[in-house]
Amino acid sequence: MTRTDEELVARSRSGDVDSFNQLIVRWERPIYALAYRVLGREEDARDVCQDTFLRAYRALPGFKGQAKFSSWLYRIALNLCRDWIRRQQRAPVSQMPEDIDPAELLAATEPTESIEDLVARREMSALVADAMQSLTEEQRTAIILKEYHGMTFQEIADMQGCPLSTVKTRLYQGLSQLRRQLERRGHGIHELVRRT
Amino acid sequence: MSETFECGDKGALVAYLYEECEPDVRAEIASHLTRCETCTSEIDGLGWTRKRLEAWTPNVPELGFQLPVPVMEQRLPWWRAPLPAWAQAAAALLIFGAGLSIGLTRGAVAPVTQPASTQVATAPASDGASRTDLAQLEQRLKAEMSQMRTAVAAPAPQRAVVDDDLMKKVEELVTQSEERQRREFTLRSVELARDIEAQRRIDLASVRETVGQFQGVTGTEIRQQREAIDRINNFIRVSQQGR
Ligand SMILES: [Zn+2]
Repeated sequence: MTRTDEELVARSRSGDVDSFNQLIVRWERPIYALAYRVLGREEDARDVCQDTFLRAYRALPGFKGQAKFSSWLYRIALNLCRDWIRRQQRAPVSQMPEDIDPAELLAATEPTESIEDLVARREMSALVADAMQSLTEEQRTAIILKEYHGMTFQEIADMQGCPLSTVKTRLYQGLSQLRRQLERRGHGIHELVRRT
Repeated sequence: MSETFECGDKGALVAYLYEECEPDVRAEIASHLTRCETCTSEIDGLGWTRKRLEAWTPNVPELGFQLPVPVMEQRLPWWRAPLPAWAQAAAALLIFGAGLSIGLTRGAVAPVTQPASTQVATAPASDGASRTDLAQLEQRLKAEMSQMRTAVAAPAPQRAVVDDDLMKKVEELVTQSEERQRREFTLRSVELARDIEAQRRIDLASVRETVGQFQGVTGTEIRQQREAIDRINNFIRVSQQGR
C-alpha cells in the first residue's frame, strides 16, 4: 500500500523512522537532480541532498503541513544550495563530461537511439550545463524549477520569495541569455555529431 | 474581448510559452502572433531554447540515503540527548561570564536574569562545534581568568571599598551555578545511561568518549570556578583588613 507524503510525514512526526526513510526514497532523486543542476557538481549535490533530509528530519516537529512536504523539502535544499554557493564564494562549476568511452556509450544508448544521437544528446547536455552557469543564481534556479520540476509560476514565486512578475522576468531573461549562449557556441546538434 | 496583451510584453509571452495564462489572454496572444513578426520570433527563440534544455539530464547515481542511527538520537528532547562537550563548555563559560560580569562591574549588581538554565537549553540547538570552537572557548576562558587575576591583584583605588552585598551575590551566583551544573551533569549522566540501554545500536565507544570529554570539561570549569571563588574571598579578606 502506498501512503501519501502527508501520511508518511504524520507517522515520521510521531517517531516512525521507517516512514521518513520512505519519504527519502521517494524524494532523493528529484532533490539530488535539483542540487546538481543548481550547483553543477555531483559531490556537492550529494552532500546537499543528504543534508536536506537530515535537516528536514530534525525540523519535522516544526513542519505543520502549511505547505506541501515536497515544497518544504525543495526550499530546504535550495537554501542549502544558496549557502553552499555563498560559502564557496565563486560561481558554480559544471562538470564537463570527459572523453566519451565507446563501450560506455553503447551501454547508455536507448534502444531507439543511435550512438550518434546519444553523442549529440550528451554534447548538448554539456553545452546547456555550461551555458546555465552564465545565468544569475536566481535565473538559473527559476529555470530549473520550471523546466525540470514542472513548478507553476506561483510555486516558484513562493520558493524564491518574490512576486510572480519577478519569476516571469527571471525566466524570460534567463531563457534569452541561454539562447544567446547556445547560439554563440554555435553548434547545432548535427554539427556536433559530425565533429566526433 | 477586451485587449489585455500589449505587443512585446515579455511577462505575457513567457506565460504564453509555458501555457500559464488565462484562455482569453492566450487566444489574444495567439491571434497577435499571426500578425507580429517580432513577438513570433521571440516566442520561437524561447521555444528553441527550451527544446535544447531537454538534453540536460544529469546522471543520478544510486543514492540510497537512509537516516543514520545517530540522527535519531539528535531528535531526542534536549534534556535527554547527550550534550556535546563543547556545549557544556559554552554553558559553563556563560554561567561563569555572568558571575564575572557581576563581580567585575560595579553597579551592575542588579538582576541576575535566569542565567544557566536557558543557556544550557539553547546551547545544543546549534551543532557541529569543532576542535577550533573548543580551543577558542578555552582561550576566552583563560583570557577572562587572567583579567580576573589582574583585577584581584591590583584593585583600582575606587574599588578599595567593597560592597559586602555585592560580593555575597557573586558568591551566591557562583555557588548556584556550580550546583546547577552538577545537577545538569547528574541528570544527563542518568539519562544517557538509559539511552544506551534502550538504543542498542548506539556506538558505545563514541558515547563513552563523549562522556569522557564532557566530564573533563565540566571538571575543569568547576575547578576554575572554585579558584575564582577563592580569589574573590581572598579579595574580600584583604579589603576588609584594609578598612
Ligand atoms: Zn508583437
